[in-house]
Amino acid sequence: MDWYSYIIIGFILAGLFFASALYAFHWASKNGQFHELEKGASSIFDDEEPLGKQTDFFPGHK
Amino acid sequence: MSTSEQNSDHRIKLSEIDQSMKWPALFFIISATLWLLAGTALGLISSYKMHDPNFLGNWEWLTFGRTRSAHLNAVMYGWCNNAIFAVGLWIMARLCRTEIRHLGLLIVAGVFWNIAVTIGIGGIFIGDMTSVEWLEMPTYITPLLAIAYALIGVWGIIAFRYRQSEHIYISQWYILGALFWFPWIYSVAQIMILFEPARGTVQSLTNWWFAHNVLGLWLTPMALAAAYYFIPKVIGRPIHSYYLSILGFWTLALFYNWAGVHHIVGGPVPAWVISSGIVASVMMVIPVIVTAINHHMTAIGHFRQVIESPTLRFVVFGAMSYTLVSFIGSTMSLRSVSEISHFTHLTVGHAHHGVYAFFTMIMFGSIYFILPRLLYREWPSKFLITCHFWFAALGITIMIVTLHVGGWIQGLEMNNPEIPFIEVMKGTVPWLKARTISGFFLAIAHIAFAINVFWIVFFRQGQEDVVGTPTLFSSKQAR
Repeated sequence: MDWYSYIIIGFILAGLFFASALYAFHWASKNGQFHELEKGASSIFDDEEPLGKQTDFFPGHK
Repeated sequence: MSTSEQNSDHRIKLSEIDQSMKWPALFFIISATLWLLAGTALGLISSYKMHDPNFLGNWEWLTFGRTRSAHLNAVMYGWCNNAIFAVGLWIMARLCRTEIRHLGLLIVAGVFWNIAVTIGIGGIFIGDMTSVEWLEMPTYITPLLAIAYALIGVWGIIAFRYRQSEHIYISQWYILGALFWFPWIYSVAQIMILFEPARGTVQSLTNWWFAHNVLGLWLTPMALAAAYYFIPKVIGRPIHSYYLSILGFWTLALFYNWAGVHHIVGGPVPAWVISSGIVASVMMVIPVIVTAINHHMTAIGHFRQVIESPTLRFVVFGAMSYTLVSFIGSTMSLRSVSEISHFTHLTVGHAHHGVYAFFTMIMFGSIYFILPRLLYREWPSKFLITCHFWFAALGITIMIVTLHVGGWIQGLEMNNPEIPFIEVMKGTVPWLKARTISGFFLAIAHIAFAINVFWIVFFRQGQEDVVGTPTLFSSKQAR
C-alpha cells in the first residue's frame, strides 16, 4: 500500500478512537455521572474505611 | 455520616472483595516482583556496557543490543503489566463493589501472559527480536500475548459490567479507558508495523504513536487511577476537586493519543503531522495541571500522614514526578528543544522519569497498601520499607539528573560541527558512569522490596496478630 492509503487508514483509526471517547463522554453525561460530583468523591469511603480516618501506617506505628 | 450509612447496605464488604481477589492479585504481584528483579539486572548490565563495552561482550546473547531490549521488555511487559493487572483489577473490584468471578481463568490467563513474556524475552536473547522499539519480542509470541491479555483485560470490564456502585469513580474511568486503549494501540501497531507492514516513514509514525501511547494511555491512566484512589483513601479525605479530576480524565483521553509523533520532530514526514503532535503535547499541560492541583490540594496540610504511610510516600513521590515529567515532556516536543535533546541520553532519562519516578513508584505504594489486606498480615520489616523508599528515590533522582544534564550537554556538542563526534561520546562517559551508580541504588531498593514481599507472603511466623497491634488497617474490627 502506498503512503496515502496508510495515512487514510491511520486517520480512520484515529477518528474511531476519537469517536469512541466522544461516545463514552455522551453516555456518561446521559447517565448522570456528572451530577452531584462532590458526593461521588466520597464514594470510596465506607464503614470499614471511613472518611476522616487514615488507613495506612508504617508497621508498628502507634 | 451519610455516605457510610448509604454504603452499609446489601453490598459486599471491602474486606470480602479483598479476599476474593487474593489469589490472582498475589500471583500478579509475585510475578511482577520477579520480573522487576530480572529487569533490574538486565538494566544494570546494559548500563555498565555503555561505558565498558567489553563487559560480558564474549557471549552474543549478552551483547548490548539484546540486553537493552530484554531490559525494556522485562520491565514493560513483565513488571509494569503484572503490577497493573494486580493493582488495576484490585482497585476496579473494590470500586465496583463486586467480587471478580471465575478467578481460576484469570490466574490461567496470567500464567500464559508470563509464559509468553518469558518466551518473548528468550527470543530476544537468541536473536529473534524485531527492530521495532517497544515491540522487540518476536512475532511468533504475539498471538499468545494478545489472547492472554484479552482474558485478563476482560475481567476488569466484567467487573465493571456487574458493578454494584451507582457512581463511577474517577479511577474506574482511568482503568476502564486503559483496559480498552492498550489492546487497541497494541494491535494497530502489530498489524501496521509487523504483520502487514506500512512502507517507509509510516512505520516510524506508527511506532512512535504506539510507544508513546503505551506510556500515555496504558501506564499513565493506571498510575493516575491508583493515585486518585490511594491519596484520598489513605488520608481519609475526599479528593480536593472532583470536577477537576473528571476534566483531567477527559482532556487526557482526547489529547494524549495525538502526541506521540513529536518523537520524529525533524524526520522525513509532513510538517503538519509533527505540528499536530506538538500541539497535542502542549495541550497535555491541561490534564497535568489539573491533576497536579488536585493531588497537591488533597495532600496539603497532611504531610505528617505522607511521612507516616509507606503507601503515601511512594504515591505522592510518583504524583509529583508526573507533574514534572509531563512538563518536561511537553517542552521536549517543541522543535527548538527537540533539535538538541533528540538522539541524546536525555530521552532515556525522560523515559525513566516517566516509567520509574512516576509509574513504578505509584505501583510500589499501591502494593504496600494491597498486600497486607490480602494476607491479613503486617509488613514484616519497617527498615526494609524505609530502605526501599530512600534508595529508590535517591537512585532515580540521580539517574534523571545525570541523564538530563549529560544528555543536554551531549546534544549541544553534537550540534556544534567544531567538536568531533568521538569527543562528544567521550564526554558522555562520566554521566553514564553516574547512571550505573544510580542503577546500583535502584537494585538495592528492589532487593529490599523483594525480600519484604517474599517475607510477608511465604513466612508467616510472628506476623499473625493484626488485631490488637497498631496496623496498616483503618479499624481493628475490620475483619
